[in-house]
Amino acid sequence: MLHLQPNNLLIQKTLSEAIEAYGNGTPLTLDRIISDFDYTTFHISNASEDKLTLALSIRTKAWQSVSQCTGGPGLVAYLQSKYANYSGISASSVPESGYDYTLLLDLGKLQPEAMKDLSLLKTLVLGYAFQLAFNEFVTLSAAPEGTESETNILHTIKYRDDENLFIKPSYDRITVIFETIFQDETDKVFGKVFLQEFVDARKRNRSIQSAPQVLFSHEPPLELQNAGAVASMNSSDTSRRFITFVLFPRHFQTPELQFSTLSHLTLFRNYFHYHIKCSKAYMHSRMRYRVDSFIKVLNRAKLDEEEEDIDQQSKQQQTRRTITGRKMVSY
Amino acid sequence: MSQSLRPYLTAVRYSLEAALTLSNFSSLEVERHNRPEVEVPNTSAELLLQPMHISRNENEQVLIESSVNSVRVSIKVKQADEIEQILVHKFTRFLEQRAESFYILRRTPISGYSISFLITNKHTESMKTGKLVDFIIEFMEDVDKEISEIKLFLNARARFVAEAYLGEFVY
Repeated sequence: MLHLQPNNLLIQKTLSEAIEAYGNGTPLTLDRIISDFDYTTFHISNASEDKLTLALSIRTKAWQSVSQCTGGPGLVAYLQSKYANYSGISASSVPESGYDYTLLLDLGKLQPEAMKDLSLLKTLVLGYAFQLAFNEFVTLSAAPEGTESETNILHTIKYRDDENLFIKPSYDRITVIFETIFQDETDKVFGKVFLQEFVDARKRNRSIQSAPQVLFSHEPPLELQNAGAVASMNSSDTSRRFITFVLFPRHFQTPELQFSTLSHLTLFRNYFHYHIKCSKAYMHSRMRYRVDSFIKVLNRAKLDEEEEDIDQQSKQQQTRRTITGRKMVSY
Repeated sequence: MSQSLRPYLTAVRYSLEAALTLSNFSSLEVERHNRPEVEVPNTSAELLLQPMHISRNENEQVLIESSVNSVRVSIKVKQADEIEQILVHKFTRFLEQRAESFYILRRTPISGYSISFLITNKHTESMKTGKLVDFIIEFMEDVDKEISEIKLFLNARARFVAEAYLGEFVY
């Protein structure tokens, strides 16, 4: 479990169960709520009485901010185009109440290959903003030399309560900035160690020289200051960190690379915090072990009861007791 | 073991051996009470002995406060940086929460120190004094070792995690 998977295994599993049961002629009655990272919830339920269609709904914090990103076909149209190749998937015109987006799945027509893409729904929602940035990069880099190369395009994804993700396309690179806060004092210190390693990893290890450059700071980076996005932020919060990834064209040349880049980047925060928690858990189990070994050392100091019993039997006369029955101990 | 650690531990060992000569002593103030005199406010100066303060440097110190029937040993564990501070704090708290099984561990350290032990005449009657001293010396050695190992592990893990993540971007 070193890497987190961009797809949701439980969706994949639920859907394959549903298809299998449908194939056997006994369609499942489903009403399942599935959670994912960053307050994302999925709901899989029967859409019709005859259990032939399933509804897959998603609710995510990022939905509102991603759908406000300008410059593309729109988030709904983008998702539609992603699923258009598969038969049996159609978007519901009205999302289920309490959810942002609903897909209707026809179990009779659904292909097993579509399952993987359905379980990637959350990544695709966040990926829309990345996709827009990739497209804008192409337009910006095609612009002739000498024209105004800086733009004010800045995509903001508000994917958690007060942690945001910013994407800024430019003519020669795309800058992705994560904003993160640490709730716990320990996390903050551990996070510092981890972030420092992220920054240094590229310099130290030659085999990953072509990875994106990583920077981190306590102050909002210049990209954000220019765009005026920081006005809303509470700058007095000392545990706020900004982590910048600089993507160069080699990271998003082909659609496959684009997808792999965005699926890793969308999971960066989760990966980062997950490993902080993991090291805390390891530390805890290590301390537990160490406490046991200390107790063993301390128990060596205790007078051995059994040994004394044997002594008692063999040298009854030599064991002296006080009037209250306590043993006299001599060294 | 480094050059300056051995004399430090030897000094602690001899001081402890000297301090751990405890005898049963009933309270002078409250009838039928028998309490560790080092822990209670005391009007009789003769019950408290001169505290011994052994210091390797400003970060590593031991304070041995002895009285007629109890000895309080407080240890300041080396905390070079933020991470070690957190690790030491977590580790000592972890130990203190398990104080029942440690018999001689005090639940809260006295101020300015990381961890305190309270050894009473009850303990020296049921345990071998020599081994108790061994335990405290071994504890001091192991805590330093453990803290630096956890710190190294944390750095190694962070490095591995960072390289594994960035390695995914190499095509």
